[in-house]
Amino acid sequence: MIDVLRIVFLRDLKVSLRRWTDVLTSLILFVLVSLVFPLTLGNDSTMLLKIVGPVMLVSALLANLLAMQNIFRPDVINGSLEQLTLSSYPLTWIICTKIFSFWLITSLPLLLISGFIASSYYVTGNSILIVILTLLLSTPSLVHISALAAALTVAIRYPGALMALIIIPLSLPIMIFGSKAIEFSISGIDVSAPLYFLLGMMFFTCSLGPIVTASAIRISID
Amino acid sequence: MNFKSIYKLGSPPLFYKLCIALEPWFLISSILLIAVGMYSGLFVAPPDDEMGDAFRIIYFHVPSAYVSMMAYVYMGAAAIIGLIWRSNVAFSLAKSCAPIGASFTFLALVTGMLWGKPMWGTAWVWDARLTSELILLFLYLAYMMLHLSIPDRAKADRSASLLAIVGMVNIPIIHYSVVWWNTLHQASTISKFAKPSIATEMLWPLIIMILAYTLLFAAFLSKRTAAELAVREKRTRWIQTLILGDKSNA
Repeated sequence: MIDVLRIVFLRDLKVSLRRWTDVLTSLILFVLVSLVFPLTLGNDSTMLLKIVGPVMLVSALLANLLAMQNIFRPDVINGSLEQLTLSSYPLTWIICTKIFSFWLITSLPLLLISGFIASSYYVTGNSILIVILTLLLSTPSLVHISALAAALTVAIRYPGALMALIIIPLSLPIMIFGSKAIEFSISGIDVSAPLYFLLGMMFFTCSLGPIVTASAIRISID
Repeated sequence: MNFKSIYKLGSPPLFYKLCIALEPWFLISSILLIAVGMYSGLFVAPPDDEMGDAFRIIYFHVPSAYVSMMAYVYMGAAAIIGLIWRSNVAFSLAKSCAPIGASFTFLALVTGMLWGKPMWGTAWVWDARLTSELILLFLYLAYMMLHLSIPDRAKADRSASLLAIVGMVNIPIIHYSVVWWNTLHQASTISKFAKPSIATEMLWPLIIMILAYTLLFAAFLSKRTAAELAVREKRTRWIQTLILGDKSNA
């Protein structure tokens, strides 16, 4: 089984890297959305420090939404996901692997770039690390929620708006505590409480998410 | 215990007849109770010390909020039953719950805002209860949109049911994350009921209204479910004979 998962993992990485424009588009969206705020608000550092948390999380959510529309669709169209569903290997683990490789491709660059964006919002010192850590803890949950939405809407031709309608209410707790963590670290309060919550949500979504997503895929495909 | 009668409810003709038979009783009793509850709530119950007569909107606000949440739980339960037993009846129930529940959620939000405007001076506060009610509305909408967007009905049923169950798991998390977020940071601003435990003569009309709204929900639900079942089973003999009489035999 490990072999199969490794093959799926490497294949997905390879496929995503070949479709690098998709990956780049979502990354550019992340940068652009977070650029809009300093440009429209004006160069007011106290204001920017106040909104950096929500901005980071919302940009990550939007970038994620854009990228995740393509997590299952091409594989459903070319039939490979159907073969994986029919195979004797547990679909939950295969989905889990796919999500993980997708997270590596779409969210990891976002984490790397978020530090620079945070510093353009006049975030300094340790808080930059907290911004990155917050995104590190919240993007897995976001990816799992989006994967579920993508799996539910895989049979629909233009799923974008519907995916947003599903994802945003479900990811609200992550948005709230992610923004709180960044806000706390900037105003010098202990950040461990929101980070623990994010960690808990991450375990929750990573453990139950693939099971639900796999059954959604089974429903959509058969 | 007679389990056989429970299994029998899974049969569309029987459930259809049950819905049609029960619906007028639900509706009549609900209208009667609403009349009693409205009269006693609007005229008999004493005005509130602080809020005066404005508090009387509680008799419409609380029942709608209660039914909106109950409808979601009901929808989730029907979705679970539908997913496990692939029961057409359960899926019809779940699908019928959504628009009714959404309407009651909308009603709860509107009455809440109407109440909030004179009481708090603002129609909207980002407190946990209001936010989760709003999110509930979006979850209903997501369920309905997902169901509408998938052309194959069997797939639509099961996918939307999965979403309903995920939403049911998530509502408490969303609610408490807003609660904790408030307690983490803001000093408590306005709590909706600072609960100086409500007086008995104010309470019993409320209970009557909650009961009446529940029965109203049951009436709407049985009507919608019957219609939904009729549409789903339109190719079968029993519905044709029921609706068209014996003409279909000719």
